[in-house]
Amino acid sequence: MEGLLQLLFNGLSVGAVYALFALGYTLVFSVLGVINFAHGAIFTLGAYFTYFLIGGTVGANGLMAGQQLPFSLPFWLALPLAGVGAAAVALGLERIAFRPLRERGSDPLLALITSLGAGVILVNLIQLLVGAESYSIPVGTLEALPVAISIAGAKVRTVQVLLLAIAGLLLVALSIWIDGSRSGKALQAVSEDPVTAQLLGINSGRMIQIAFGISGFLAGVAGGLVGLSVSIAGPYFGIGYGLKGLGVLVLGGLGSVPGAVLGGLIIGLAEACVPADLSGYKDAVAFGFLFLMLLIRPQGLLGRPLAEKV
Amino acid sequence: MSGPLLELRHLVVRYGSITALHGIDLTVQTGELVTLLGANGAGKSTTLRAISRLIPASEGAILWHGGSILRLRTERTVKLGISHCPEGRRVLSRQSVADNLALGAWLRRDRSNIAADLDHCYALFPRLAERRQQLAGSLSGGEQQMLAIARSLMARPTLLMLDEPSLGLAPRLVGEVMAALAQLHRDGLTILLVEQNAQAALAIADRGYVLEAGQVTLQGPAAQLLADPSLRAAYLGT
Repeated sequence: MEGLLQLLFNGLSVGAVYALFALGYTLVFSVLGVINFAHGAIFTLGAYFTYFLIGGTVGANGLMAGQQLPFSLPFWLALPLAGVGAAAVALGLERIAFRPLRERGSDPLLALITSLGAGVILVNLIQLLVGAESYSIPVGTLEALPVAISIAGAKVRTVQVLLLAIAGLLLVALSIWIDGSRSGKALQAVSEDPVTAQLLGINSGRMIQIAFGISGFLAGVAGGLVGLSVSIAGPYFGIGYGLKGLGVLVLGGLGSVPGAVLGGLIIGLAEACVPADLSGYKDAVAFGFLFLMLLIRPQGLLGRPLAEKV
Repeated sequence: MSGPLLELRHLVVRYGSITALHGIDLTVQTGELVTLLGANGAGKSTTLRAISRLIPASEGAILWHGGSILRLRTERTVKLGISHCPEGRRVLSRQSVADNLALGAWLRRDRSNIAADLDHCYALFPRLAERRQQLAGSLSGGEQQMLAIARSLMARPTLLMLDEPSLGLAPRLVGEVMAALAQLHRDGLTILLVEQNAQAALAIADRGYVLEAGQVTLQGPAAQLLADPSLRAAYLGT
């Protein structure tokens, strides 16, 4: 019973990160119809931003070796700020890698390549500046909180509970915004029919920026949370999550917000069920799941049937 | 002051190497209901799309109150008071009737007037009031057309441009939609109506233009066009 509860928490907290990741993809995909392949790099940046904002020092490699910010912030402040920083980078990315193509009316597929390129550049910049070593956010960061708490007799790491709570909060806030607010509905309008949205006076360029900003914020926060709960395994560590996020996206159904959440939790739980001594097969399990899903239901769990558009 | 509300001067639109409009001249005065008639591919939709800046004009001028709007983005034309109800209705199928109408008032901030306009739309099209919480995609074709028109009205436009509102509707519904347009016209709204159904459009219009292969071939008061033998042969089937 304890083991099961622990397993559940492990799965849900990893799944929540995947869900945040997939939601970022979903937001941009819904307004532009393309996947932002630099999303993993934004996630990575969020983790590094968090590390430096809480006062972490750059390691021995990289141009900025040995340096640190002149101040250090508590984690609860550093995390949202890292999210804002990541959002700013995402907005810059939209400006450089997406907008010029859109304004020329190029094939949306081209943005796939430019975003991939931008992601590679970002990751290389990180490596150039702060080196390729791994960083870990010190355990003492959450000083006021115990390392683990027990829920129904099972010991659960506080970090995981925190991660689950923050991710859950963000997911709920996002759904409320999309379905309950005027601007959320305008975003849906741009997603369904950009031309009609323009005829209603909706500035689609602005809505696309909003989508990028939110998506960057979610990725940055997810990066900071993973950095805290596991570690920052080097500049490339977002790529694995990025691929997993894509899997989640397809599993849940392209463009579906609840689908992204459900897909994330399912993949997280499936991975958590892999015994520790077989943990090398985690990815195989996750993508095996995805493969099965595509055979049975190609539009994903909550996606709309592909043939719907007339 | 008494100049036209909208004026097209020698408007040319090209799609790549194809010229869709060969220099159109057209005016709409405040309070008029002007109809733009013609067969498929004559350039009617292209004209509307050029006015709302969905496509660029290659040559010529589009004047609004005498000032050029050729450099504006589409959203800005809406802000100016041009509301374009596109061909094929294009309601937001995954949102409710009420949400579609609310988005029609996207650029407005005058809440109390918006509420009044909403009531007015529901009075004009009572079927929409009955279905306000339904998803727009679940409405019938006629109801979707009414929703599209009502949504355009929610912008409280100075000029309402409609692209073939009768397309694909049963004759009884065509009558209903045209009656609503006539009512709006009587209430003082300026309307530019693109139609293939010349009979229905001319019955409610003040003036009309006939487009053929991207050129205006005939224009005049609606009554005169209705009586024109060449138009009767080409479009009215008599």
